[in-house]
Amino acid sequence: MQSYWFGDIDGGRCILFEGSPADAAARIRSLVTSMDTYNPPDWRQAVACGVCRDRIEYLSHLQKVCIAGAEEAVREHYAQKDMELLQMTRTLDEMDTVINLLSERVADWYMVRHPSFSRKYRKTPAHLMVKNAGQRDRGGALGTVAQEIARLGEARTALAQEVSRRASDVMPNTSALIGGLVAARLLSHVGGLRQLARLPASAIQVLGARTALFAHLQAHAPAPKHGIIFQHRRVHNAPRSLRGRVARVLAGKVAIAVRLDLYRGRAVPEFLASAQARIDRAGTGNTEL
Amino acid sequence: MIWIGDVLVSRGEGGVYGERMIGGARVWDPFRSKLAALYHAGIGIDLLPGMRVLYLGAAHGTTVSHVADYVDAVYAVEFAPRPMQDLLEVARRRRNVIPVMADASRPEAYAPVVEPVDLVYQDVAQPDQVAIAIKNGVFLRPWGDLILMLKTRSVDVRKEPGEVFSESVELLAAAGFSMQESIWLAPYHQDHAAIVCKKDQPVISRE
Repeated sequence: MQSYWFGDIDGGRCILFEGSPADAAARIRSLVTSMDTYNPPDWRQAVACGVCRDRIEYLSHLQKVCIAGAEEAVREHYAQKDMELLQMTRTLDEMDTVINLLSERVADWYMVRHPSFSRKYRKTPAHLMVKNAGQRDRGGALGTVAQEIARLGEARTALAQEVSRRASDVMPNTSALIGGLVAARLLSHVGGLRQLARLPASAIQVLGARTALFAHLQAHAPAPKHGIIFQHRRVHNAPRSLRGRVARVLAGKVAIAVRLDLYRGRAVPEFLASAQARIDRAGTGNTEL
Repeated sequence: MIWIGDVLVSRGEGGVYGERMIGGARVWDPFRSKLAALYHAGIGIDLLPGMRVLYLGAAHGTTVSHVADYVDAVYAVEFAPRPMQDLLEVARRRRNVIPVMADASRPEAYAPVVEPVDLVYQDVAQPDQVAIAIKNGVFLRPWGDLILMLKTRSVDVRKEPGEVFSESVELLAAAGFSMQESIWLAPYHQDHAAIVCKKDQPVISRE
């Protein structure tokens, strides 16, 4: 017997499928075709079975079914919990880049307006500098732009909080280990929770250090110790000599946490407690591990 | 193929991706489309009105829309959801584009919908893209044609493009595809080779 989109054909007998295009598409997804005995569908067969009158109608029916199927597949893909988090994280990281770029430009602009001004010996962070420029030049072109950048900065802060909140929902274990933002960045780097869960710990450790990794693989550069994971305080606060170890241990636990997130979808306190203890030990320089 | 002077065009509803129009025909840019680059190089399989095509790696449907202007039906397979949204829009406006969201390396998923085709066009840029083409040979009618756009950097970055190319041709020959023509798509596309072959015996899948 051969199963086609319009029904089954068993030794010249047609068993037509009745239902909407969406139903037909769902049925196609459930079919298991053996490619060894496979015989492609023939539109003349469909006409003989009474599915359609001619080729034009055959194509139009088939197209309806296939469009319905593809639309549903796209919908399903986007309905996954991690998909919106992915876009939010990428937006956040791009906003950072844009805000930094614009802030630098506005600072240069401000220095043209105020020739005696210099940022040397000042501890003013860039975002305050932009804010000051916005206030001192209120109403002018510079002030308007500076105020817009400041507003963008506020939107960025709100988005960061939302990313962090969502991350603890989508990846409860990973977020508990390395924080929502870093967890979300790992996710956005590989394109999804499922993809991240398939990575070995060694790959998670150097995610985001691609240039260094290829320099290592192709030339004789030293291997990178950490990538995105460096953003976690336990890695960047660790003494230089221990960073590699902390990063390695942390990556190992993150790899497990991501899999728990994917397959259980809830926080696992026993795992978190033991993982935290293990990472803390790595950071103390205790060699008996 | 339809040429206006030395410009390759296709006749159909325009405005799909902001393509230029000449005398009511849609300009098919060789820098944007590898298939157009192949025709500009003077080789490739002529697209004829009665043809059925299986198009693997349909992406946003820009090249698909041009192919659909020429032939009877295009089965357009694409795996990624983002380009599929664009491809669906193309399909809604063209009667002969059948969109399929599936992994081209698993043809059994779309076997219930794809007819025997005259041409398999494959542009998926995967490390195992030759194996994918061979698997999809089951949809090809005897003596049907296969056009494979080989992105050598996707197959293996460390190997020389020429080496990847000759290995691919050997694999195809072993699976029952005899090579007709091949060409590098420079200057239009870098490190891309086009391989045109014919299915000359039942395709043997190597698995």
